[in-house]
Amino acid sequence: MSSKNRTLPKGVTAGDFDKAMREIRAIVGAEYVLVDEEPLAPYNKIMMPVADAQHAPSAAVMPDGVEQIRKIMKVANKYRLPVYPVSTGKNIGYGSAAPVERGQIVMDLRRMNRIIEVDADLCTALVEPGVTYQQLYDYLQEHNLPLWFSCPAPSAIAGPVGNMVDRGVGYTPYGEHFMFSCGMEVVLANGDVLRTGMGAMENSNTWQVFKWGYGPTLDGIFTQSNYGIVTKMGMWLMPAPPDFRPFCIQYPNETDITKIVDALRPLRIAMVIPNAVVIAHTLWEAPCTPVKRTDYVTGPGAISDEAVLKIQADHGIGAWNVYAGLYGTKETNDANWKIIEAVAAATGGKIITQEQSRGSQALQYRFDLMKGKPNLGEFGLYNWRGGGGSIWFAPVSQAKGSETLKQMKMAKDILGKYGFDYVGEFIVGWRDMHHVIDLLYDRSDETQKKNAYACYDELLHAFAKEGYGMYRANTAFAEKVAATYGPVKRDVEKRLKKALDPNNIIAPGRCGISL
Amino acid sequence: MIIAAGAMLGGAGAGAGQWRDGVQVYEKVCSHCHEANVGPVLKGRQLPVAYIERVVRHGNRAMPSFRPSEIDDAALADVARLIGAGAPLVKE
Repeated sequence: MSSKNRTLPKGVTAGDFDKAMREIRAIVGAEYVLVDEEPLAPYNKIMMPVADAQHAPSAAVMPDGVEQIRKIMKVANKYRLPVYPVSTGKNIGYGSAAPVERGQIVMDLRRMNRIIEVDADLCTALVEPGVTYQQLYDYLQEHNLPLWFSCPAPSAIAGPVGNMVDRGVGYTPYGEHFMFSCGMEVVLANGDVLRTGMGAMENSNTWQVFKWGYGPTLDGIFTQSNYGIVTKMGMWLMPAPPDFRPFCIQYPNETDITKIVDALRPLRIAMVIPNAVVIAHTLWEAPCTPVKRTDYVTGPGAISDEAVLKIQADHGIGAWNVYAGLYGTKETNDANWKIIEAVAAATGGKIITQEQSRGSQALQYRFDLMKGKPNLGEFGLYNWRGGGGSIWFAPVSQAKGSETLKQMKMAKDILGKYGFDYVGEFIVGWRDMHHVIDLLYDRSDETQKKNAYACYDELLHAFAKEGYGMYRANTAFAEKVAATYGPVKRDVEKRLKKALDPNNIIAPGRCGISL
Repeated sequence: MIIAAGAMLGGAGAGAGQWRDGVQVYEKVCSHCHEANVGPVLKGRQLPVAYIERVVRHGNRAMPSFRPSEIDDAALADVARLIGAGAPLVKE
């Protein structure tokens, strides 16, 4: 590229950049190095409310193995090139495949898509970063293996390594994905290859079955960080249960969230309900039904409560819609079903079973996700406001009714102030809730884009003031989110960075970590 | 039973750069939205191949972009040709 406006990594001269690219081409092959604007376009498609230029890459490189990555690390150290690894690059609404800082070189690991091993007896898999959930699903089907995995909503095109590394969640009993990973292979900045847990030992065959190994457990530092490039990950698979009974319970009032959470928490902690329960608001369900926003709202501003009530009535959607499942044998599920019916009756909820859900698009994609069947049904959300703008605001809450109601009201008020709708859900961990809100806006409208940025900023700081932190954040707000967690934690993170990556070459700025 | 030790995948497990043809790309990627009432219906619109290729690489509003590492140029050209020609791409 000869343009004067070419994007370069911070502090790297055009001459050094070109030399580095020549060396990297020699490692991976010229066709797997992109430097021109047009071929780089797919790496700069973002939904965040900032300029594309802020996250424009200088290049993309596509290694197909660990040895190539090790060699690229040598070049990156030599020229001080910042390298931003992505796996499937479908962390949509959190940054996609675009680098955290302008000018970084995207290391696209999508070509590394080997399912290295599936152990059907131990129910484990070892996969590379480019493997998608769809690929793994097809593989298990093709080999007639009755094993399930947990996947997030954009499952068909996203993959387990990237999702776990960003500590994403899913909807089966294995929904806390990092918890159900077991063993990583990581290329460090100096080119060393670390295998965590039992994988560090030569000839070990327990890498995918025992997480801890000996000494400090290191896996966690390679999630939501930039201390290494994860090139393999072990994951636990779940035996397909003989009987799977998904259900939805609808509740009529927004304030019902209090009794829903307090009634479900004991069932979740006791694992009567083993999966990550979802409690979705009307406006999460509506776009996935699908309902058109323009049928209920005219003009700018947030949707009114009256219009939300009308949507509920017109389309048979609850104010809150609880999704959960029973996973067991017919006998155990029959017994637990009585508990579910009793809880629903006591709390004023209406149960919808799988049989009763036929024909409902919103229920079907949820029920599929609860058995780890990949789909993209939740992308219906993006049709709500239109215009391709989305950022996830995702604070953690205690699994207590009063807390969830407080968070919902806070979020709804702040969103409304900026003209945005509350499109939210709670995903129940054992004792926590991931309160996930899709801040949907029209990215082609500059005013909405500006408002979306200001709105997220206010949400972040208002929630932090109450002691509520994000479980995950988009790359545009990485620094601000990291700052809400206080100086000592950040200082330790920086010291780790200095020790493991003294030249600051792996994704500087990711999760606010840089030198 | 341990399977797939070290094997690159073929068939249903195929991934980037290994698509059988455009039909498989459509089934495994495009159809999740464009046959599911999420993205617009594409068939029967005689969309130009170059337009389809551009939208896939650049994305379009809520539609994500797809990189050549995900859908290689040959597979993209094939699926774009099939969509443009109105070929039957899903079992009906």
